[in-house]
Amino acid sequence: MADYKLTELMTIRAAKEIADGEVVFIGVGLPIMVAAYAFATHAPNMIMLTEGGAIRATPPQALAITVDDPAAFLGGDATFGMLATMAALQRGEVDLAFLGAAQIDKYGNLNSTGAGDWSKKESFTYFAGSGGANDMATSGKRTVTIIPQDKKKFVETCEYITTPGYLTGPGAREALGMQGGGPDCVISTMGVYRFDEDTKEMYLAEFFPGQSVEKIRAACAWDLKVSPNVVETTVPTEEDLKILRSLDPTGFYLG
Amino acid sequence: MDVDKRMSLKDAVAKFIHDGDVVYYGGFQIMVPMALTHEIIRQKKRHLTTIESSTDVGGLDLMVGAGCVSQIHSAWIMNWYVKAPYAVRRAFNNGHLKRYDISNFGATTAMMAGFMGVPFMPILGNIGSDMQKHNTTDLRVIEDPFTGNKVNVVRAWRADVAIIHAQKADRLGNVISYGTRGVTDEFGANGAKRGVIVTAEEIVEPEVTRTDPDRVIVPYFKTLAVVHCPYGAHPSACRGYYGLDIRFSQYQGKYERYEELLPHFLDEWVYGCKDQEAYIEKYKSKFGQAGLDLLKPKLGFAPSPKLGVDYGYHDPTCWKGVPLYTDDRLKAFEEALAAKGGK
Repeated sequence: MADYKLTELMTIRAAKEIADGEVVFIGVGLPIMVAAYAFATHAPNMIMLTEGGAIRATPPQALAITVDDPAAFLGGDATFGMLATMAALQRGEVDLAFLGAAQIDKYGNLNSTGAGDWSKKESFTYFAGSGGANDMATSGKRTVTIIPQDKKKFVETCEYITTPGYLTGPGAREALGMQGGGPDCVISTMGVYRFDEDTKEMYLAEFFPGQSVEKIRAACAWDLKVSPNVVETTVPTEEDLKILRSLDPTGFYLG
Repeated sequence: MDVDKRMSLKDAVAKFIHDGDVVYYGGFQIMVPMALTHEIIRQKKRHLTTIESSTDVGGLDLMVGAGCVSQIHSAWIMNWYVKAPYAVRRAFNNGHLKRYDISNFGATTAMMAGFMGVPFMPILGNIGSDMQKHNTTDLRVIEDPFTGNKVNVVRAWRADVAIIHAQKADRLGNVISYGTRGVTDEFGANGAKRGVIVTAEEIVEPEVTRTDPDRVIVPYFKTLAVVHCPYGAHPSACRGYYGLDIRFSQYQGKYERYEELLPHFLDEWVYGCKDQEAYIEKYKSKFGQAGLDLLKPKLGFAPSPKLGVDYGYHDPTCWKGVPLYTDDRLKAFEEALAAKGGK
């Protein structure tokens, strides 16, 4: 069996969520590697949009470390500002958006604003804020969230809803007129999650090698449901890893 | 009319930024107006309100930590290289700072409405979020007069004065920016009521500007002051001139993190430097010319011969093996912290 890092497993697994030809909105961090890997393997015809305004039919030729890094634009197809790529979201043209957050709850709502009760100002711990995540989750056709997992991050209800998942459950997004379909998949440091079509609740679909359903349930603050068909995530092959590592030769993202 | 708007950093800030102003804060993860940030801190401007969509490398965090800002309208404030906006967090906890949260596109749309001179504009995002619940200053739901459906709207944002960094400007005030055009600089800057202060890596003749007017993002009549200011966005990047200084952002970020350390950073790097030239000299004396050399971009991409435009890009693999920047004070602080069991 090939020897791989957790970041490598997560990147390769996340890339499988991209179908060839899709319009994919890429944020800062690991999603840049996810997109580069998808381009290099099964999705050569994907269209990559970044928050900084790059529109690309090919992966960045150099490692981009911010969404408005010149490397994200080098050899790209079009250079716009944030207006053009985020307007494409509002027009309903984005198939898939990758998100990150500090907290996620059972309906896939995300918190990237802060910990605690916002109205108790003396004790609220501010994070960076929404950035474009809220816009991507409201209007993207579907979203994939990549997030580290522990009991403080996987909570029953987010302390602050920065970015809507299914909000309070079935029908909540529709009642507010949101055009985007909502969360489709969550990839944590322990496994892969989907959402129940009827209840809109997140459930465990795959566990990573070395993890177990019990360990994962113990790292989740609500009574996590588990798919009857839960499976172990397929491990990357030597070939998969060779391709991925060639995209990040110094381990800037993958470690 | 040939009005020469060139002036010193000091004069530009003294003349055009007043206590209580609403300031558009330019850039995003790159092109952050850091030299202007330092000068605003030096001149102890107070009670500023800032508007922008997202801002990195801790420029706004420093300005908040120095007590210049009392209100922020923003989607994202960060020093990515220490993973949090520490001074902003403390100021919010102390009650010294009001924060009005909104999504990136919400902020962009607010500034586009300001740019267009209309009172508000519809926006799809933010609805159903706690930003909508807590920030009714900027976000409201109204009835769409055409369909009767509910629609989320954002109030127009207009600054009194905008501060931005660009690659080039001419003496008249035409601002030349390329590569990506910032995120919202066109809207935030042109929407400013009194006008724009720009720092630029280079000053060109107006005749040169006119060979490629496509690249002008702020026309001269909107510009109040032009400041020639190499490295004016450091430690953020300026396309074609220098890449992001990750090591310095990490170093600065450690000072931002602790309330008792931050004043030392301000004393050494802001109050202790009379202008941006002095700041860069200080950098060279502390971290060497080698630190600046690491930031050199790879040029040769999409050159426009007449304007001398070269987007360039910076290869971040250069940071591999480069040790973290530190100094005796930071080392002593971290050792004391570790001895107490902190991290």
